[in-house]
Amino acid sequence: MSGPAEHDPHALTPEAFRAEVHSFEFWFGAVQGYLADRAYGHRVDAKDAAPEGADRDRLVTALCNYCVGETAALEGAGGLIEVAPNRPTKIFLSTQAVDEGRHLEVLIHRLRELGVEDPEAEIARRANPSLLAFKRRLLELVKGGDWNAALFAQNVILEAMEFAVFHQHAAEADPITREVLEGIIKDERRHIGFGENELGRRIKADPGIRGHLALVRRELDALVLETFEEALASLGAPASAREDLGRSYRQTVERLGFA
Amino acid sequence: MTDFLKGYDIQYWLESAPQGYLMETEYGHGEKEREPELVLEDPTLREQAIRTTVQLVVGERCALAASSGLINAAPDEASKRFLATQTLDEARHVEVFTHRLYDLGVKKSELESVISQFANPHLVHFAEALLEKVDQKDFIAGVVGQNVILEGMAFNVFEMMHAGNKEANPKFGHTLAGTIADERRHVGFGENRIGGLIREHPERKGDIEKLQREMSYHMLATFGDSFRNGPSPEQVGQIMREHGQEPQASEQEWQGVKLGQANPEELEAVLSDTILKEFKIRLERIGIEYQTPTAP
Repeated sequence: MSGPAEHDPHALTPEAFRAEVHSFEFWFGAVQGYLADRAYGHRVDAKDAAPEGADRDRLVTALCNYCVGETAALEGAGGLIEVAPNRPTKIFLSTQAVDEGRHLEVLIHRLRELGVEDPEAEIARRANPSLLAFKRRLLELVKGGDWNAALFAQNVILEAMEFAVFHQHAAEADPITREVLEGIIKDERRHIGFGENELGRRIKADPGIRGHLALVRRELDALVLETFEEALASLGAPASAREDLGRSYRQTVERLGFA
Repeated sequence: MTDFLKGYDIQYWLESAPQGYLMETEYGHGEKEREPELVLEDPTLREQAIRTTVQLVVGERCALAASSGLINAAPDEASKRFLATQTLDEARHVEVFTHRLYDLGVKKSELESVISQFANPHLVHFAEALLEKVDQKDFIAGVVGQNVILEGMAFNVFEMMHAGNKEANPKFGHTLAGTIADERRHVGFGENRIGGLIREHPERKGDIEKLQREMSYHMLATFGDSFRNGPSPEQVGQIMREHGQEPQASEQEWQGVKLGQANPEELEAVLSDTILKEFKIRLERIGIEYQTPTAP
């Protein structure tokens, strides 16, 4: 294995980053570090202490919406492979596609563990309209073949949104849901690192790209914030939690240099 | 359908591939395994190895583009997840075979020109025809082209190459063994998933059979060209003697033929027989009647 299990892509120069972290070999080493002893995203012997009653129902709603987000990410990553400008980038995106597929799988598995017999039907019933609108727009950008805009929407906006939500949820989730979310967050870090590095390099070569991405962000931010609003309202979260989540998302995007 | 797809989920894939037969490998082979000196030193054998590997890279690039494009065309999320694993498998194959080209002395700056120089035109035509179906989001045609025709036919070639290399070139043999294990999963998915879809959409049978007739022509033509361009056992023996090595008749057999002693025509004949026999069985399983390949 050539890829270290714990590795911060942000610390690499663009050249070193591309040479090292785009490969299957790196992905292979990275995921072995945190998936080796897991089945469907959590330890096999982990004791389930899932919430009951209304809290369980809220958790099911949240997980159903995470499945919508992960399906968008899976289809987005699959489509981006065609748009990607070079082979190493295509290979990285293939690792991202399988990561997104895994996230969808572990979330559906968690829904089944919570007693949901037909996750597909439940996801369709509970899907958040703003998140569905975000998914449609993301896939339009991917289909349009605009690499900068599509990668920004997928690996910066969508991943930052998921990162913020999962991070907040994991802090107060039951142990199994927390393990599942923490595994997903580790993958998201790799995806965000790739988007930041790839777009950062392109902006350096052509600063005009920044203005184009600002327009994409303005359009998608509205959908992201509506998604947070709808998701947290359905979970019965207080207004302060919505503000925290919005702030966390904005900080993540701005930390990546896309203010 | 759900139960059959359970055997193709990502958890299964993680346990069988990255945590199974790919453990302790680096770019598909053992960390210390190297290409044989003779292959690196002799220009004829080296060019033959490069030519063969280029066809693998071209085929795998096509498979990567097709499987990623099919994620969005898949009618259900379990198939999307399987195709995500297949996408990563194909990307790994592109990576390991590209790495072999570097091991054979191809410079990174020359990679694309070497691939253009040696890529078989029939294989390029096949890739164009398949990717056209994928662009149209035609899931049935895309999976038949990719998982049944491309991978189903290449499967036998990989097996034959593996039998011929596992002793003579363990590094390449090891790389092929991992690829074969992946392909077996892809072909299984194609047969199982498409069989059900053809039963649901009998109106597609006619155009899928036409697709099979045209696409399998290009695959067979690619294999035929590969054998005609390869050195005979006598030429290999001569090269070995020139390098001070005494040729030893290999006893490695595949489908009853001694691979180290058969001439290219014999190899092509046994491969064609095997491919067509197994290909017909696969087509029967998905409810498609085999059509004799014709030039499109």
